[in-house]
Amino acid sequence: VSIWAALAGGFVGTLVLTTTLRAASELRLTRIDLPFLLGTAFVTDRKRAKLLGYFIHFFFGFSFAIGYLLIFDAIGRAGWLLGALLGLLHGAFAGSVLVNVMLPLVHPRMGDPTTSADREALLEPPGFLMLSYGRGTPLVTLAAHVAYGAIVGGFIAIAR
Amino acid sequence: LRSSVDPASGPRVGAAGGGYPPIRDLAAVGDGRTVALVSNTGTVEWLPLPYVDSAPVFGALLDRNRSGSFTLAPTDPYEVSRRYVPDTNVLETTFRTAGGSVRVSDAMTLSLGGGLLPFAELARRIEGLSGDVAMRWRVEPRFGYGSRAPRITGRAGVPVAASGSDAIAVNAWGAGETQLGPDHVEGTFTVAGGARAMLSLAIAHQEPLVIPSRAETERRLDLTAASWRRWVADRAISQSPYRDAMVRSALVLKLLIHAPTGALAAAPTTSLPEEIGGEQNWDYRFSWVRDSAFAMNALLEIGCQSEAEAFLWWLMHASQLTHPRLQVLYRLDGGLDAPERTLPLDGYAGSRPVRTGNAAVEQLQMDVYGDVFQTAWLFANERGRLDPEFGERLAEMADLVCDEWSRPDSGIWEVRDEPRHFTQSKMMCWVALDRARRLAQGGHLPSRNAARWLEATTAIGSFIESRCWSERRRSYTRSADADALDAAVLLGVVFGYGEPMRARATIDAIRDDLAQGPLVMRYRAPDGVTREGAFVSCSFWLTEALARIGRRDDAARLFEQVMGLANDVGLYSEEIDRASSAFLGNFPQGLTHLSLISAAAAILRPDGRGEA
Repeated sequence: VSIWAALAGGFVGTLVLTTTLRAASELRLTRIDLPFLLGTAFVTDRKRAKLLGYFIHFFFGFSFAIGYLLIFDAIGRAGWLLGALLGLLHGAFAGSVLVNVMLPLVHPRMGDPTTSADREALLEPPGFLMLSYGRGTPLVTLAAHVAYGAIVGGFIAIAR
Repeated sequence: LRSSVDPASGPRVGAAGGGYPPIRDLAAVGDGRTVALVSNTGTVEWLPLPYVDSAPVFGALLDRNRSGSFTLAPTDPYEVSRRYVPDTNVLETTFRTAGGSVRVSDAMTLSLGGGLLPFAELARRIEGLSGDVAMRWRVEPRFGYGSRAPRITGRAGVPVAASGSDAIAVNAWGAGETQLGPDHVEGTFTVAGGARAMLSLAIAHQEPLVIPSRAETERRLDLTAASWRRWVADRAISQSPYRDAMVRSALVLKLLIHAPTGALAAAPTTSLPEEIGGEQNWDYRFSWVRDSAFAMNALLEIGCQSEAEAFLWWLMHASQLTHPRLQVLYRLDGGLDAPERTLPLDGYAGSRPVRTGNAAVEQLQMDVYGDVFQTAWLFANERGRLDPEFGERLAEMADLVCDEWSRPDSGIWEVRDEPRHFTQSKMMCWVALDRARRLAQGGHLPSRNAARWLEATTAIGSFIESRCWSERRRSYTRSADADALDAAVLLGVVFGYGEPMRARATIDAIRDDLAQGPLVMRYRAPDGVTREGAFVSCSFWLTEALARIGRRDDAARLFEQVMGLANDVGLYSEEIDRASSAFLGNFPQGLTHLSLISAAAAILRPDGRGEA
């Protein structure tokens, strides 16, 4: 039951996370677009990249939800507040390591701080805390991940 | 070109005063992230680290006392000549003394060769050509715009200068015994004919230092030269009398493209003055939207398809947060803010203030919309398609131009007094909506508001023709209801605005009023006495305008005269003093080199791309 609850939470959480980031972009708070960043690792057509990126992002959303479930199982507790706390850590990790450091290393079209003139990058690297995508990015990303964590935590807690 | 220098006799003849080298004596090397400026005395006068918009670790160009430098030259009087290794950004400086001659090859190495690479690396290879030449070198880094001297220590036998999260390892191979001072590292050595030495700075930023072996640095320097040659060979620059100038400009352009993001810096320096001792000292280490149309044209003309695509992507990403409005400039990392502040530095030849940041970011300059549409138009023509999302955004921008074209603005010259109805701004609004309609006709933009764009295009045209044309001057004027001329309206002609008779008359009027030989002033000061230098881009705009109205021979003659104004290695600054031919302003200037490529292409291909 918990696995299905985690997956359901992961689905809803990713939906909320993606929507939050998209809304923030519309409000001109950030230029971050995670599905776009993920999709352009495979294709350069922007619309196809976004579509593909949504699927990849949902896959990650499910994967992280399973990860949350394992942590809840390990500590014997679950709940939306604990989920929100994990979401905060998750968001901090995403901003400082996952998207900032790891994505430029594996993304074939993204520049990184050591890209030199022998290569042309189509996508700018996010920079520390993804600040290159706008000053509001760290806050928005953290808030979206906290929401994701709270939702996953809440779903798992209800199933228990 | 040869210059004679006596190291013992202080500032050279022709120097700008206070020991500052003439800007004309500088040459640039870089790696796509930063640019070093090396003078013809072998001194690295400027090197921002880790990126071109960072504080310089060598900034002697802006302060002889507080900022650092890296000197490398014979100890005896010498003659010097230099060139770039053909088709590369590797600089060769040859010193000839009474005892012999020596060649120094300077380059920022590229991330090539595999293995563990330093974050960045400046390599200086010294080769004895004949006889014996005694050399002296001194590395004197400063951090934080001269506010922080480094801590110099030896680590595993290698001197390291460190400050905060930055560190520089000074590697000297065959370059004498290294002496460590409190704030510098230095050495002397004699190089014999056929012998080689190597100096390199291995640079770390927010990571531990990677200290390379001599073999690795030597190999990387060779690979870097080969990589530049390959890059040029892959470009579509045909054989012509202009090939060398176009290749050099393309290589400068490549130095100014910020490789991590694809942004194009206007120049790698800040506060090189437009007038010696004056206050017109600006930070150009940002990407100006205005340069975009020329950049796209130049990139496509020389066959840089991937750079063109990367630049368009960067432009559309950077402007996303301000959409549908455009800022005048963006940071190289795509950031929006560029707060202007002054630094406590002496300034080049006493030209203060020294500024970082650029307050022009706050200005309204309506011409930038025309530049973006021209950029998209060129790209769409080349590729046969435009990303639908870009198309949507451009359509919204076109709607904004319809709403706002009638506002006064600060214009292309970024005047800091009252906004005016600048003619060139109106012309570029016309270009924006004209290109929007054409893109919509080609299916690249949604055409829902095309009728509105046509209506506004007509209104802008009427405004220009009725209020920005002077019958007395027989020319389009600088601004509405005024009589003064402005070389910027040549851009209107270049981009296809204007009825042919008026375009031709304007070209002649501007040439009569603002040109002095091949040099063209932007405009005359209100009192008629213009102290600033001639704006080199204006000479190329005049050239291109002549070519585009079919006066190719005239254009070619002018172009060849302007080519003669480059420095000994083919570089241009922003302005040239009309009396002394001294370079003024930031250096090397991207817009000048972009305009050179565009003008050359227009002469070589009179049916030039993008003409209306």
